[in-house]
Parts: sequence; C-alpha cells; structure tokens
Amino acid sequence: MAHNDNDSHVTARHEFEVLVSRYYSTLYQFAFSLARNEDEACELTQQTFYTWARKGHQLRDRSKVKTWLFTTLYHEFLEKKRRQIRFPHYELSVVDQDLPNVLPATVNELDSKTVLQSLAQLEEIFQAPLALFYLEQHSYKEIADILGVPLGTVKSRISRGIAQLQQILTDEKLPAKNSKREPHG
Amino acid sequence: MDSRQAKEILMRYRPGTTDGSDPEFAEALEQVKRDRELGRWFERHRAFQSTVADRFKQITVPQHLREKIVAEYNPTRIIVWWRRPVFQALAAAAAIVLLFGLVYFKLPTREGKSFAAFRNRVVRNAQRGYAMDITTTNLSEIRQYLAAHQADADYVLPAPLEKLPGDGGAMLRWHNKKVSMVCFDLGNHNDLYLFVANRSDLPDAPSASEPQFARIGKLTAASWSQGDKAYVLAGPGDEQFIRGYLRGNPP
Repeated sequence: MAHNDNDSHVTARHEFEVLVSRYYSTLYQFAFSLARNEDEACELTQQTFYTWARKGHQLRDRSKVKTWLFTTLYHEFLEKKRRQIRFPHYELSVVDQDLPNVLPATVNELDSKTVLQSLAQLEEIFQAPLALFYLEQHSYKEIADILGVPLGTVKSRISRGIAQLQQILTDEKLPAKNSKREPHG
Repeated sequence: MDSRQAKEILMRYRPGTTDGSDPEFAEALEQVKRDRELGRWFERHRAFQSTVADRFKQITVPQHLREKIVAEYNPTRIIVWWRRPVFQALAAAAAIVLLFGLVYFKLPTREGKSFAAFRNRVVRNAQRGYAMDITTTNLSEIRQYLAAHQADADYVLPAPLEKLPGDGGAMLRWHNKKVSMVCFDLGNHNDLYLFVANRSDLPDAPSASEPQFARIGKLTAASWSQGDKAYVLAGPGDEQFIRGYLRGNPP
C-alpha cells in the first residue's frame, strides 16, 4: 500500500513538472506584461502554480488547464492591485476613431521595452487583453474566459487597445505628426 | 462588408494562428483582395502586429524560475486524499460494511433525506476534494452550463453575490435529484459555495422569511427558500460574514 501511495506522489510530481515546463514561460511573460516588474512577475507565476497544487484537482476538464492557469494568474494580479473598480463592459462596436498608420520605420525600431512601456500607457482595461492577444497562446474565447468578460467585449477591447497602442507608438516616434493624425486608407 | 469594416476586423487579425479560420476574418480577408489600398494598409499592419507579437515573446524569463517553482512543490497538496490507494481501500472496506449494515438493519432512509442531511452533505463535500464541471469567472456561463445539463439554473442570486466573480460550477446529485453548485471567488483562496435544489425534493426546507444558520465543519451555512428553490450558501467566517452576502453589506 505504501508503495502505491509513493507511486501516486511520483506521478503527481511528474505531472506537475510537465505542467510547469509547458506553461511557466508564457505565464511569466503574461505576468511581466501586466506587472512590468521581474520580482512581481516571478511571484505571480509561482503563486499560480502553488494555487494549482492546492486547487487544481477541482478542475474536471483537464483540457482547460492552460486557461485555468492564466485565469488564476490574472486574478492574483488583480488581487495584488486590490482594485475594486469594476470595468465597464463595452458592446462590440466599431473602433470609432481613425485608425492610425504606423510607418515601417517605426515598426523596425520597436523593442520589447518600448512595447511594454507603450502597453503601460494604455487604459488598464486594454492591457491584459492585448498581452494575451500578442502572446498568441489563446483563442478569443479563451481570452474572454480568462478575463471573465463577454467575447464581444474582448474583441472590442483588443481592437481599441491596438488602435491606442499604435497611436502611442506613432506619437512617440513621430513627434512632428502629433497634432495631425494621418487619415487611414 | 466594406473596406472600413474589413479594416476594423483585420485590426485584430493574427497571422499564423487559427484566426484565419474564423468566418469574420475570412470575409475581411476577401475584401483585402478586392481593395488595393486596403491591401497596402493590411501589409503594413501585419508587419506591425508580427513585430509587436515577437517583442512580447522576447520577454526574458529569469533563469531558474522553473526550478524554483518545482522546488516549492509539495506533493501533499496535490494528492487528493480520496484518490490515495490507502483511502480507496478503506473506502471499499467501508462500503462493504455499509452494504451489510443496510441489508441487515434496513436503515430508515427518511432521516437521510431531511434538509439538514442535505445541507450537511453538500457543505461537507465542499470542504473535501470536489471537482467542478466548469471553471470560469463568468456567472452567466455557469448558469448556462447548468441549464444545458438540466440542473436548476433559474436561481435568484442575492445582489452581493451577483457582484462577485465566479470560480466555477458543478452539477451534484442528492438522492438522484440534481443540485446546482455555484462557486464564488472571495480572493485569498477563499470561496463561497451556493447550492440550489428543488424545494419539492426537500420536504422540510427552511421558510422563505429568514435564513437559518449553522456551523458545519469550518464553514458557516445559511439556508433559505425562495419560490420553488431551496438555497444553501456556505463560506468561511461567521454568521455576520455570510449575512453580508445575503443583504448587501459584504465585508
């Protein structure tokens, strides 16, 4: 009996290690996108796996492990910030501002630091959706599940977030054009 | 779809992902073929999107993070007690004893179907290893899941509960009757558990006027009835703490 019990421990440990190997990098990148601080991002990632060790067995549908981990990390982040503001839900609607053009030269100059600094300048409701969007690990439906908002809201936030991000990058890189937004098309 | 609409949709198109199979994107991509100017914009936009996505993926993960996480792993946390072979053997033995007991002593089942027995079972179940059928923060999705599985889904949530994020939900069974379980996330790894049963399945369900409180294990449970449903809300803290989630003054 003790032998079997030990086997279960070994199996569980192996499963845990596989899970960590598979997801810790992207979880950390998501955490860093939100927190922009290495220590905090590490802590969020570690806390997420700690929570998995405690509560992961509750998840019956094992195909949703990835979404569960990202959801948990996002909750941890929100909890850390102790934000009580409830985000308004936007209906899926057209991006009602002109869509900025980002010139190829600007694109080539981008580095991770610039992108994350620009992300930090966005309204908060756009930051997590955009980070998940650009990490390309999740479908729109999964992003909606992680953030706990309707699918249409996620699509709307991503579109608006990209438009804002482009605008910030355009303004930063091309100060001479600050006062005049080039019409799209 | 005109070019303006196509551009709005293509703003969030991710080349090389499954986005391309989405009909919405497919239609917008068709418009790109018809409109040269849109096509030029799309090429620039794709370059931008691709670069930004690359930059996100270039965020450097600290060395040894994986090892740190694995080192902190405590197997006792992840092994659910009832999945351990030793407990499975004990459970099997207990089941045999129980079976003999039922056969020889013909235990009356009426007491076992009381509301108190129901409340004790579901609340104690929440304190042990249990599995959720759906994990989501979205309360509407939990309700939809329960409705899709013919469990009670037309329950009425007290206003404070509607403001909490969900943690998940499950469909349980009590004497072959379906019971809906909705979990709410209180933060700090604490949950509130709401159980909803059909009132007619619980002949001595509490009255509608005032919730009844009981301490069950480490949780406090409030029970009440409304319409054709009987409710049990269990969570950490004392009676006052739970009351806060029934009457609009949560802690």
